[in-house]
Amino acid sequence: MQINGEWLVCDDGVVRPVIRGEVLATNGAWVPVPFLLDTGADRTVFSVAILTALSPHALSASERLSGLGGSVRTVSLETRGRFSHEESRKVAFRGAYAAITDLEALDMSVLGRDITNLFAVVVDRPGNVVCLLGQRHQYMIVQR
Amino acid sequence: MYEDIPVTEKPTQIVMEEITDPEELAKARAQRARFDRNTAWLQAHAAEVYPRYRGKCICIAGEELFVAETPEEVLALAQSAHPDDDGFFLHYIPREKLARIYAN
Repeated sequence: MQINGEWLVCDDGVVRPVIRGEVLATNGAWVPVPFLLDTGADRTVFSVAILTALSPHALSASERLSGLGGSVRTVSLETRGRFSHEESRKVAFRGAYAAITDLEALDMSVLGRDITNLFAVVVDRPGNVVCLLGQRHQYMIVQR
Repeated sequence: MYEDIPVTEKPTQIVMEEITDPEELAKARAQRARFDRNTAWLQAHAAEVYPRYRGKCICIAGEELFVAETPEEVLALAQSAHPDDDGFFLHYIPREKLARIYAN
């Protein structure tokens, strides 16, 4: 399985690794979500903007998440995220996800290790590659 | 419709499922194509959009920019103008341009 991402220009002009997917909203629609691929993040977290688009009926208070600026309050929701992989197929990840409730705390949703630990993660700026590799797909390091 | 693939790694409670329903896959591909177009539009206009709308919520739908104070407002604007575009790109632009460490 190979889930491809891309390097996208963000608001500050910095190019960051992003994997775009969709998350299932309460009304059954899939909401498009650009995820920052963050190998240091323990969990996948939705931004306030995406949480709003998901319009969940039921939210439960979740653990606080900590980062450089201290800890922030989050809510937890059960949903499913999906991503494209080779041959235009789709894979979904079902579970409980955290979402931030402070607009300034997180501008972009984060793809964390609750999902990425299932894959080999390739974040290669010089080679212009962002991807998750699993199952029958592998990578090889060669010396030229 | 879904084939569960067992995931044993702890402490995650995420279940990975391959989507096999042809109708759902066709819809997903069409939505992804619209998402691609709106993402490409924003990337092409990033230098003008991001500095101008700091502290605002933006949404690209139908390859058109919408701006508002809140996610609810900007979604309403975008979906009113392009009700069939389910590939919108929704984003909040931080007030300050700072180097970021995201790890949570």
